[in-house]
Amino acid sequence: MVPPEVMIRIAGLRVLYGTFAAVDGLDLDIRRGELFGLLGPNGAGKSTTIRVLIGQRRPSAGAVSVDGLDVVREWAEIKPRFGYVPDRENHFEEFSGRKNLEFFGELYAVPRLRVEEALSMVELDEVAHLPVKGYSLGMRKKLLLARALLHEPKVLYLDEPTANLDIRSADVVHGILRERVKRGGTVVMTTHDMDEVEKICDRVGIVCRGKLVALDSPLALKQQHTERKVDVIATGGARLVYDMDNAQQRAELGALIATGGAASVRTREFDFHATFLKLTGLAFE
Amino acid sequence: MRGYIIKALLKKEFARHMANRGGVALAVLLVAAAVLLSVFAPQEAATAAGTQMVGGVHHCYIDFDKEAPLIAHLKAHVPPELKAAIIFREVPPKRIGALVPSPTGTGSVQLTFTGEPGKPVLDVYVWHPDGSPEALATYEAWFWKEVRRGLAAEARKAHPKVPADPDMASDNWQLMEAHAHLKAQAAAAGATVPDLKVNRAGLAGKVLDLRAVIATGMVLFSVYYACVYLLPTLNCEERERGVLLAQALSPASPGELLLAKFLFYPTFGIGLAATLAAIYKPDVLSSLFFWLSLLAVGGGFLGIGMTIAAWAKTQRAAFLGGMCYLLSVSMVLMICATNGIPYLPFLAVEYHGPRVLHAALSGNVAWYHWFNLLGAVLLAGGWLFAAGWVFRRRGWQ
Repeated sequence: MVPPEVMIRIAGLRVLYGTFAAVDGLDLDIRRGELFGLLGPNGAGKSTTIRVLIGQRRPSAGAVSVDGLDVVREWAEIKPRFGYVPDRENHFEEFSGRKNLEFFGELYAVPRLRVEEALSMVELDEVAHLPVKGYSLGMRKKLLLARALLHEPKVLYLDEPTANLDIRSADVVHGILRERVKRGGTVVMTTHDMDEVEKICDRVGIVCRGKLVALDSPLALKQQHTERKVDVIATGGARLVYDMDNAQQRAELGALIATGGAASVRTREFDFHATFLKLTGLAFE
Repeated sequence: MRGYIIKALLKKEFARHMANRGGVALAVLLVAAAVLLSVFAPQEAATAAGTQMVGGVHHCYIDFDKEAPLIAHLKAHVPPELKAAIIFREVPPKRIGALVPSPTGTGSVQLTFTGEPGKPVLDVYVWHPDGSPEALATYEAWFWKEVRRGLAAEARKAHPKVPADPDMASDNWQLMEAHAHLKAQAAAAGATVPDLKVNRAGLAGKVLDLRAVIATGMVLFSVYYACVYLLPTLNCEERERGVLLAQALSPASPGELLLAKFLFYPTFGIGLAATLAAIYKPDVLSSLFFWLSLLAVGGGFLGIGMTIAAWAKTQRAAFLGGMCYLLSVSMVLMICATNGIPYLPFLAVEYHGPRVLHAALSGNVAWYHWFNLLGAVLLAGGWLFAAGWVFRRRGWQ
């Protein structure tokens, strides 16, 4: 029985491609009203997990439910409840942005006004009459998001949603996703960008070789894995490192700064690649 | 099946063709070709039995160097069925008997009067396509008959006792005259030769009507184009671009996606085919046999197109699949036809389809065409079943 606060439950998910296990015993609960980030290198099993969630890949073992419905047996009921933004844009190139949305709006039986709202939300209303083949990569990505939000789904899956977007457009997308969550929606996104995860995600799961290796809030992950060290360049040019967990080294650093012997002082930031290496023993490609 | 989803999907297919226009352009070209065929080769001018296919000679030039009573006679006695195919030309004397380059599919008969005063000679040159001396047979049958009649009429003007013409209503008059001559020679030698009695009757099959052949080709092509070219390539294009997945993830069920495609493309192909057929021969639209034939051929091609669409992963593969299929079947049918290999062609929709559609378009539906129709229906059922099986195994995703 899935608790009501859980929107997505993945239990013992295993997906095999031949003998290769793309997902190997994944257990994960994603709560309602949560923006969840799924991180991992290429081939970690993120996309396969998303494919299972959208009903495009059958689990080899395990069970997956969305909003209390089984993704295999009750896929038709699940379909109207989610929106999906793929990593590769898939529009009708010859249609305008508006016509693309109107077509999907008719399939979802949403009022035409909703198409205009969605276009306006992603700031494409001024170019909505132009054929998609003339759109930039960022515009295409935003149109995908507008399409996925047309029917105001309960769950939104996004595969690398801000890839190819400029800073301003990425901020627009982040704003939309946070707004969805504020209104009770659930968002699951895959990304390589820890800064993006830290900025907008409530929780993050790190997967590697089909297994979940870490699961927590970005802040907690950062606190757990950021190296508490300070890099100093002395006035004489020497490079020094002080460990903040060591009382003697803290005192030495204080003395150096007090005597004016430090030309540059810098605390170490969270290094996702180093953290990933620590967690998995693998380099993050 | 939800009506609003089917309607949205059909609208999308229509809008895609309106936006791309390549498919529509070809359909318009086909209609234009049918109109041109109808305007420039009207049916009554193209019924010359045997002139359209024998040796491939569609026009015969009658060249002469000066007007003469015989030329006037020939001009006045061209039968209606050959009027569009025989062209009289007055040419300089030096052109008579000289090799004249002629367009492919034409032949000529040149005639001039030579000889000495009081001993005229009618000099005739028959120019047939190289290697096909029989190609002008239909034209020669008319020519020699009218030459004989024309010369006899002229002779009769000067000497009324010249015997009357033999019965030329049948095609046996030359044979009967020659046999009468043989009998006379044999009787003079004291021998007896039996009388000759020749019976001529029509077979069940009629002469291939070239105009109906072209119309049949266009009708078949339009159905093939819609079901075996457009359907697989556009579906594979959608699959390749990922828009098929986007539609599959919408509330539209796989059954609704398929139904919309199967409603759109065969309807488009059959509608275009019926338009082309109606331009050629409007009456055909009231023929049950025509509609049954069109549906059978459409069903067969739909099954073939579906099978290709289910197998091919990309648009290019779908296009090549359609082309390879067409080439393979054409080769098999040609090899079977030229080598007299029996039964194997019965397994091709492309064997039965042209026969039943040609019969419907030329208005010559014989009892055996119903067997061809039955064959086409069975093959269409087989292809649709095969397509469904392949689809279940491979899917559209």
